[in-house]
Parts: sequence; structure tokens; C-alpha cells
Amino acid sequence: MTAAGAGIRLHPACRVRQEGFGLLFYDNRGPRLLFAETGSLLPAEFYGTVRGRDEFPEGLTENQKKALQKFVAQLLEKGFLREQSIC
Amino acid sequence: MSNRYVEMGLRSPVNLTWEVSLACNLRCTHCLSASGEPAVGELSTAEALDLVEQVHQAGVFQINFGGGEPFLRPDFEEILAACHGRGIMTCISTNGTLLDRERVARLASSRLVAIQVSMDGATPETCDEIRGNGVFTRAIEAIKLLAASSIPTSINTVLTKQNASQIPAMYEMAHSLGVSLRVSRFRPSGRGADNWEELRPTPAQLLEFSDWLANSGDVRTGDSFFSLTSQERQGLGLNLCGAAKLTCCVGPTGNMYPCAFLQTDRFKAGSLRDNSFQEIWDSSEIYASFRDLRIHSCEECQRFDQCHGGCPAVAWHLKNDINGGDPECLERCVTSIADANRTAVAA
Repeated sequence: MTAAGAGIRLHPACRVRQEGFGLLFYDNRGPRLLFAETGSLLPAEFYGTVRGRDEFPEGLTENQKKALQKFVAQLLEKGFLREQSIC
Repeated sequence: MSNRYVEMGLRSPVNLTWEVSLACNLRCTHCLSASGEPAVGELSTAEALDLVEQVHQAGVFQINFGGGEPFLRPDFEEILAACHGRGIMTCISTNGTLLDRERVARLASSRLVAIQVSMDGATPETCDEIRGNGVFTRAIEAIKLLAASSIPTSINTVLTKQNASQIPAMYEMAHSLGVSLRVSRFRPSGRGADNWEELRPTPAQLLEFSDWLANSGDVRTGDSFFSLTSQERQGLGLNLCGAAKLTCCVGPTGNMYPCAFLQTDRFKAGSLRDNSFQEIWDSSEIYASFRDLRIHSCEECQRFDQCHGGCPAVAWHLKNDINGGDPECLERCVTSIADANRTAVAA
């Protein structure tokens, strides 16, 4: 969950790139990897800038948005994404 | 580690080991690349910077710099700056003797660098026997400078017969200095092959280390010890060899190999002077053979899921058989000790 007024972006210690199965996240602090079977749902560069928590790539269905919200929550919990003020 | 995705094949390595020069001011007896004099035809500055751009385009997350002593390359900080300007994370393995306050301050400003300082014992006597007179003290000075900076720093120790009993003391020493400890596996390549019998840890020492590691979750081992990984450390690292799947190696002259311990013509995947980084990663027959490698002789082992046959490089160097299974895996250590005990009882 994110605080009101906070956006989300990739943690500075993390990187992400597109792979055939979806996204591959790398966390330099472990180092550790996260393989996310997202297909083309989420562009790798999407969280390279601060995004609002209800902001999604264009063209997603409601079900895809729900799935993405759940995934983003997991990324926040695991530390690959972090909250950042957008004020 | 999700092996399924790794086996599907990644579009580029997650990280790259780049031995930027064979030049070294030390002559460590276990050196994997027998460093000393620079290699003939090492990559020029322009070639090195071009490689950084290629690696960036390929999407590689991190470059681990080694050698030789990387800081002996006059353009090394220029290469680092090119990496950091592209957002590539870097880790430098150094002997620490060329670090001073000014250099540490310059390195710290990037915020994308981590440094491993090599030390091979908790006492000057043990460390200097392997690395040379006075090196222990100089390394400690470098570590103190780094610990006072924002650079994530670790002591990197190669486990040998001589220092195996000092690993807990090294852990304490690292903590007292404000840095972490990383332990690497001794492999029989370079001068390590020449001094293998003298330096290799005994099976009993490897087992003891494995037990100690099980209770030392904050000690990093890179890809070194998955063949010895106990149940307690499962999930903390690899459970298979990552060569040509997650990582690869670039040598000083631009030749690419599966890993730093297999830098021989037999395992040359290509030359960056003939083909691009991406072409070699995608098309090398050597890399394809490593991706297809299955250590069938180990498949019946109860620990197969935890190591998948261990380190092919050690198998190659000791048994001349890349498919032979790691001769120093946990299971073989246990068997070796049991055999020795039976022999002793019989005698």
C-alpha cells in the first residue's frame, strides 16, 4: 500500500528489463533476481519514472489492471519498487 | 532461483565478469588468471568504451571488474564512468593497494559501485603467505578508507587450507571494520592450478565451512559454493552453474568465455574483435553447450536439486571432463571422509 500523495518508482538499487516471459528484476542489494511472468502487460521502463498508484499503461482491461495492482503491491513489499513523493 | 526461466534462455547475461587487465602488482599464489604482466593486445580504451556501450544495449545489469588489478589500467576510472553514466552497476575486485582517499572519494560519487578487497587470512602471516609481504596491512588501510565512505565494501577471501580455520575470525574482523565478508571458492586455474595440492581445503575443512556458512546468512559467496550449500542457505543464491545462462566472462583481450575459471582456447566463445557482444551471447556454440549441459552422473544424487552437478570448471580442471560432476561437492566430501575413516579403521 502506498501513502496518499506518494507515487511509485523502481528502487535505485534495482534494474528491470524485458525478457521473453515478461520482466526480469535485479536487486543489487542481495543481489537477487525476480522473474515476473508479465508477458507484455507492463513495459520495463514504466516504473523508471514516478507513477501514481492508479496509473497504468494504456490499453489494459479492468482485469489486467487488477492483476497489475496485485503485482505492484508484491514488488513494493519485496523492495523492487518504492514509494516516492509526487508533491 | 527459478531455473525454469533461466533454462528458457535470457536475452543477455544478468552480470558480466570483465577481467580488464592481467597486470598486477602482486603475485598471489592462488591467482585464477596467473596475473602479473599485462596480456599482449589488451583492449584499448576505445574498444573498452565500445564494449560498455554494447553491454548497456544488451541490458546487462552489472559488471564485475577483476583482473589482474583493475586500477593498474590508466583508463579504468574512465571505463567505470562510462558504465555509471549508463546506469550499469559495478563491482570491483581489487587488492586495495592502489586505493587512496582521493580515489575513494571519486568512486563514491557515482553511487553505483561496490568494492571487494581481497584478503586471505585474519592474520598478516596467513594472508601475506598467499598475497605477499605487507599486503595484509595495506589491505586493512584500504578497507578503513572504504568503510568511511558510502561505498558498499566487502572483504573477499578465497577459502584455502591455510585460512579455513580463520574464516570465523575474518567474519569478526570484517564486522569490526564495518564491512561485510565474502568467501570465494578456490579453483584450480591459473597459479591456483600450480599450487592446488598445497592450498586446496581438505574435505573436512569444506564440510566445516559448509556448516559455518549455514549459520552465517549475511556472508556472501557469489556463485562459489552452491555445490556445498546446506539446506539452511537454500534460496540465498544459485543452485546451478550460471555460466552462459546468467553470467559470462570477458578477458583482457576481448575474448569471451563462460566464466573466469575457464579462460582457455577450449572454452573461447568468441572475440569481441570479430563479433559483437550480443552476437557471441546469442550464437556461440560454447555457450549453447553450457546451456544444454546436464550432469547425468549426478542425477541420482539426493542433493541434485541443490547443485545440479556443481561447478563444471572444477570438474574440467581436475578430471578433464566438463560433464563429470563437481569433485568437491558436499556429497563427495562426506563420502571422502567416510572412506578415509574406513581405511583408517581397517588399517
